[in-house]
Amino acid sequence: MPACEPSPVQTGDVLLSIENLHAHVEGNEILRGVSLRIRAGEIHALMGRNGSGKSTLSKVIAGHPAYTVTAGAIHYRGQDLLALSPEDRARAGVFLGFQYPVEIPGVSNLEFLRVSCNARRQHRGQEELDTFAFEDHVRDTMAIVQMNPAFLERSVNEGFSGGEKKRNEILQMALLEPLVAILDETDSGLDIDALRIVANGVKTLTLPTTATLLITHYQRLLDAITPDFVHVMAEGRILRTGDKDLAMALEQRGYDWIDGADTPQP
Amino acid sequence: MSNATQSQSWLDTLLQVLAQRSGQPAGQRAAQWAGARDWCWPTPRNEAWRFTDLRCLTQLDPARLHTRTAAPPWPHGLSQGSSRHVALQLDGHGHWRAPQGETPFWPHGLMPLPTEETTPGQVARTVISSETLPLGAQLNGVTPGPPLALQVSGADPVHLALAIQMEQAQAWLAPRVLLVLQPGARLCLSWHVAATAQAAVLPMVEARLGTGAQLEEAAIAWGCPGATFLGSSFVHQSPRSVYRRTNVTWGWGLSRDEPFIRQAQGQAETHLHGLAVARGRSLLDTHSTVFFDGPAGQLRQCHQALADGRGHSVFNGRVVVPRVAQQTDASQLSRNLLLSTRARIDTKPQLEIVADDVQCTHGATVSCLQDDELFYLQSRGIGREQASRLLQRGFCEDVLQRLPWAALAWSSLQRLLEIPVPDQP
Ligand SMILES: Nc1ncnc2c1ncn2[C@@H]1O[C@H](COP(=O)(O)OP(=O)(O)OP(=O)(O)O)[C@@H](O)[C@H]1O
Ligand SMILES: [Mg+2]
Repeated sequence: MPACEPSPVQTGDVLLSIENLHAHVEGNEILRGVSLRIRAGEIHALMGRNGSGKSTLSKVIAGHPAYTVTAGAIHYRGQDLLALSPEDRARAGVFLGFQYPVEIPGVSNLEFLRVSCNARRQHRGQEELDTFAFEDHVRDTMAIVQMNPAFLERSVNEGFSGGEKKRNEILQMALLEPLVAILDETDSGLDIDALRIVANGVKTLTLPTTATLLITHYQRLLDAITPDFVHVMAEGRILRTGDKDLAMALEQRGYDWIDGADTPQP
Repeated sequence: MSNATQSQSWLDTLLQVLAQRSGQPAGQRAAQWAGARDWCWPTPRNEAWRFTDLRCLTQLDPARLHTRTAAPPWPHGLSQGSSRHVALQLDGHGHWRAPQGETPFWPHGLMPLPTEETTPGQVARTVISSETLPLGAQLNGVTPGPPLALQVSGADPVHLALAIQMEQAQAWLAPRVLLVLQPGARLCLSWHVAATAQAAVLPMVEARLGTGAQLEEAAIAWGCPGATFLGSSFVHQSPRSVYRRTNVTWGWGLSRDEPFIRQAQGQAETHLHGLAVARGRSLLDTHSTVFFDGPAGQLRQCHQALADGRGHSVFNGRVVVPRVAQQTDASQLSRNLLLSTRARIDTKPQLEIVADDVQCTHGATVSCLQDDELFYLQSRGIGREQASRLLQRGFCEDVLQRLPWAALAWSSLQRLLEIPVPDQP
């Protein structure tokens, strides 16, 4: 990986391009030809039944070693993303907010965040932050998700409530300043106020030069963050793509009405 | 020659050499001390030594042994004495001196015991009355040298920091420490033992805790691949006394740590927390024994080990609960992290429970680094090596967080915290 970013992103540039992606885990094919193109300045929503492959897609993009890509390609800013290690993808600006953030006992959240933030900074040619500078920086950043600094003293996600874990994910997104953020059900488990806070946080972090893929089951999040595109995934493929009205229709009518309707993606 | 005969002749030579130095015939002192006429060199047939090869020790040349030490790299502030704190280091003659070389200034509450009141093994004998002393204690006993014998009194905690630094090959150090805590007395004892050369250290600690006394012991012991640590400690607890021991060990070619604790009338608290980090070809062995001789005693024990490379960790946790020890509440946990296919973990609880109204639990886990944890860190831009290091340190944290600042300040520990540490300083 080059130690610094390629030329700056312009609104409308293709950031992430997925073509006919097939992936399996433990012998089961989960992704069966996913194609998706995401440009700077866009917000995409990805919906679909439980088990349709949404998290799998997000983890394949992030480079989880359990999944094997058998066909297709992912390009990030024109570069072969699948050739990069998970850490290099993150350093280059791809962020995954996990559906189930992992608890890591014994590893301090503060130190984890600092090491992580510095890895991305180094990649962007920025100077690393020492412990003091980072602490100031992280405290400022925590305001975006209205998170209590006491969480810095704890182990990574250990004993965090569901909602606290999700806020911690958005805090990480804020620190890493990704170009492409995939947020896997970040809205699940949030109370009404927390949802608003997190949604506002995500909006603050969304710039004309970045893109966001929101994986969600609920209209509520999409009321707060209006998506430009809504995709419905089924059995490892994107079955239909529309705009925010598609999400509204799903909310009212469920998934049954698009099942079987063999409408190709526009 | 077989290994056994080789070891026996090594021992004979060693005993002769040590006897010449002490001016006593070899057999006499050995027998006097050990209470055994025949030294029994442990072999793999002996269950307690099944996994523990003593070759690292017998590679030393008895004829060339010496007692020279080096100046320990005391952390800033720790070597200064105060009204509640004394720092001592072992000199080349087996004496404990203040870091500036003078005889120590004893803080209030700490008083040296007159030599005539101290017989080596006096507490050990009450702790393991009928059993033979462990090898480390036997070898310690036949090595001439003065003990550090202190009486502790008063409820205000006194801090005692001891350091041993070995930097020359063939050093053979067998320090003896005797601590008598008066009822209600409190002592915080911290050890730092380091060996950077092919050498051996065989510390023996004896402590008698009066009613309601508290002893907090923190030990850091790290060596290089050719160095041997054979430690034994004997703690005799009266009712309502509290003994907390936290120890961290790594790097030694061979380390065998044998704490023995006896709650003479039960009703006391014992907390044992150990961390062993075995890398390279390091063999780190802990054999602990806790005896409950009365009711309502409490034990909280957790031994953690991390084994990588061809490292080998051995843990045997013996807990003895006879009929008199009703209402004993003992828990023991052995947590292990296995990082390579050639590393090895041998862990065994040894609960000898006769009393029926007791709560005794034990458990052992062996795991490797979790893929999901590694991936989570990597997905945040943290390289795999560093992610692995963070997780390893996270594993150790449980024990490390129990260390007092006086122990955490040592730079050797800072290096361990950035696991993996080079074995050489
Ligand atoms: N590591 C794995 N081993 C075995 N099966 C897996 C694994 N990961 C995913 N799967 C399977 O792949 C399918 C898709 O799972 P995925 O988590 O991607 O669904 P999802 O669309 O995110 O569902 P949800 O809405 O419930 O989060 C499921 O049937 C799941 O059981
Ligand atoms: Mg999912």
